[in-house]
Amino acid sequence: METSGRTAVNRNSGPSGQAGAPAPQATDDDGPAVSAVAGALEGAGSPDGRVVASPGAQILHVLTVAGKALWRAARKVGRTLARRWRTSLQFRTVFTTLVIASVAVVGVGGYLAGQISSGLFKERLAQAQQDSARGATQVQDNFSNASVSDQPRVSSYVKDTLGLLAVGAADDNRKYLLVKIPGQTSKLAVISSDSGGVTSAIIPDTLRAAVQANDTGQFWQSISLPVGSSGSHPAVVVGNQVELLQTKYELYMIYDLNSAQLTLNYIQSVLWLAGAILLLLIGAIAWYVTRTVVKPVSQAAAVSEKLAAGELEERMQVVGEDEMARLATSFNKMATSLQDQINALATLSEMQQRFVSDVSHELRTPLTTVRMAAEVLFDARDGFDPVNKRSSELLFHQVERFELLLADLLEISRFDAGVADLDVESLDIFSVIHSVIDVAAPVADANHSELSVVTRLRSHKCVVEMDARRIDRILRNLVLNAVEHSEGKPVKIFVSADEHAVAVAVRDYGVGMSPDALGHVFDRFWRADPARARTTGGSGLGLSIATEDARLHGGWLEAWGVPGKGSCFRLTLPRTRGGVLTHSPVPLPPDSGAGAASLNLNTGPILTNTGAMGVVGALGGISPALHGEPPAAGTAARTELP
Amino acid sequence: MRSQAAALPRRGMAKSDFRPGIGKYRGMKARILVVDDDEALAEMIGIVLRNDGFEAVYCADGAKALETFRTNKPDLVLLDLMLPGIDGIEICRLIRAESDVPIVMLTAKSDTSDVVRGLESGADDYVAKPFKPAELVARVRARLRPGDVKAPETLVIGEITIDVAGHAVRRAGERVLLTPLEFDLLVALARKPWQVFTRELLLEQVWGYRHAADTRLVNVHVQRLRSKIERDPEAPEVVLTVRGVGYKAGQ
Repeated sequence: METSGRTAVNRNSGPSGQAGAPAPQATDDDGPAVSAVAGALEGAGSPDGRVVASPGAQILHVLTVAGKALWRAARKVGRTLARRWRTSLQFRTVFTTLVIASVAVVGVGGYLAGQISSGLFKERLAQAQQDSARGATQVQDNFSNASVSDQPRVSSYVKDTLGLLAVGAADDNRKYLLVKIPGQTSKLAVISSDSGGVTSAIIPDTLRAAVQANDTGQFWQSISLPVGSSGSHPAVVVGNQVELLQTKYELYMIYDLNSAQLTLNYIQSVLWLAGAILLLLIGAIAWYVTRTVVKPVSQAAAVSEKLAAGELEERMQVVGEDEMARLATSFNKMATSLQDQINALATLSEMQQRFVSDVSHELRTPLTTVRMAAEVLFDARDGFDPVNKRSSELLFHQVERFELLLADLLEISRFDAGVADLDVESLDIFSVIHSVIDVAAPVADANHSELSVVTRLRSHKCVVEMDARRIDRILRNLVLNAVEHSEGKPVKIFVSADEHAVAVAVRDYGVGMSPDALGHVFDRFWRADPARARTTGGSGLGLSIATEDARLHGGWLEAWGVPGKGSCFRLTLPRTRGGVLTHSPVPLPPDSGAGAASLNLNTGPILTNTGAMGVVGALGGISPALHGEPPAAGTAARTELP
Repeated sequence: MRSQAAALPRRGMAKSDFRPGIGKYRGMKARILVVDDDEALAEMIGIVLRNDGFEAVYCADGAKALETFRTNKPDLVLLDLMLPGIDGIEICRLIRAESDVPIVMLTAKSDTSDVVRGLESGADDYVAKPFKPAELVARVRARLRPGDVKAPETLVIGEITIDVAGHAVRRAGERVLLTPLEFDLLVALARKPWQVFTRELLLEQVWGYRHAADTRLVNVHVQRLRSKIERDPEAPEVVLTVRGVGYKAGQ
């Protein structure tokens, strides 16, 4: 019960000589408890510099220390705890419970400690005031009856009278101090007298001033009583005025409250211990309760993870009939229905696969016969009359078209059935490009389009893990499409690669595409210009198949186009199987959408000439900084490739 | 098994004497066995083959295929993979067990597994339905094609010795039996041990394809060749893989 920092002087309203218990009243309404807190707020410190705190200050101190320690610990294991916090519901619940319980325990404990402290202090103060009033009356009575006339006798009389105080004290720890109020000129007077160990220095000036100013009132104040060389005890000093032989003295009685402080300390330590045990109990209970609830939940999570991973036989354990059991039961029902659905789908897919395979065989065999017959007739058409000749020609061409359409349809249904698989090998993409050029060159010649390869890969070699048949099919489709729509302008094949990806962009400078066309260009059976497509053939499935082929490789197939400026299709593939694309080494479009005429390529001499048309130059225009940037002009459509 | 002597006159024939389909035995028509359950297609194939100067023999029942093969002794077999009675792949294996006559599969499936299974069971080549008559005839001719004029020549790769004119391969003095196609493949590689052959180049030189075709043909036949001539086919020393490019002969 340290109250040494208090500055308020408390004055009893009643006169000191009032019979019975004087009603002591502190000047502040809330008494010592509030004063104590005020003292703490002002910075508790005893005169000898020892750091002491009032109960409130102690609470604050404990809180700050605990908070700091907690903060340090949290930072130390911060990452671990944060992860636990994120991943463990149980940890989060227990932690939150503990934090709330701590706040409650600290609050309740602090309140209890404060109440006990204040109660103890009040009781001791009342006792001290009563005792002191009695003592003062006794001394004054003795002093009033004094009949001494010389200085030595005055001194001894004072000592004897005050000695009664030491004897009659209710508390062994009572000390007294008698000081003459300065400013009085009397021959028969003592300067001061005390019970030993106390001097007027320990009496606060404010208290002295109050006692000196009022000759009937009783005043008190908390002080810190020095004990021994360095220690101090909390104490309360009660002051009165007494008069001896027309000389006024200040009489102070000092009550050591150390025993009360010890009691309080003990009570507080018991309180905090009980609080700590309570916290532990609460933590344990929270842990147990959440564990009971969370365990089935985490079991459910584990089971659903297994289900998601394809272990469809996995089920939850059903124990008892409580909510968890209901959860488990309905979870299992869900899993069963899911399994049934998946099995049904798998069966369906298998059936479709078999159907596709059967249709493939059953249709192809008669088609082969028809086709061969048509070709035999076609070869012999010169000997026919005009009607039969034209008929055989129509038969031949339409059978050919039918065959292409059937092949594309079967390919698409193979993708739809999910039975298409990659036949991956490491191959140079340029070998594929060259073979595509070999095929496309005659068509390009017929369209008067110049076909060229533009690359900045100096070695003209780029080994990619791919299914050459599918990549050949994609590129052939793109190049033939480009040539078909080039309107006699050049068609350029841009090739670039880096560590992770390789990209082939086929650029034409022909009719181009409207934004609307771009949105549909990968749709099945979609035709940019229905009238045109009917005459040039094609199933309308080419780009859909190309998209699926790219998807199988984990690649991208994207389109760009501006009406009148041409279009560009870019195929980007990861260089290794299973690689994930983040960017494409070739911008889309590769030449910022510039027309053929303004395209100023920093091409060197033609380095190699492979096959019929393979012109390979060096492209200076592709800067690595452009990688993956969206096209500068026009619009691009990227097929959704998961 | 056809004797080596029977093969020799064919191999020794001058290229200029060869005319499609009719030059095989100096004027005799090459006989081709068509094993297909679809009679319309078999007949149509027969028409096309006869048109090009071949002689066609039919067999619609898989179970009788081997018997027909033995009685007719064809120069080439066109074999449908899907047959009632007995699986085309099984027939292929049976024929291959007693003869190294060229076998070309007719397949309606271009799925990897079926083609590879057919090639692994001993077929030399395949034609996917629907095929053009010209394509079929080209495949047949390529397989009946007599080899170039072979001067007495001996090639050596490691412990493998190849007697080109004698069509004989020995490993450490021990005779290794190869089909004509495997022999051609080995000779092509052995003639230019310094060169790396792409699959496309091998298809052109050994199979006679003018345009790039299914490179799985090469892969499967290289595996079959390795299983016959390598000590450890998993760690080949005679036919080496050059990653990303193709194959070359070992030293």
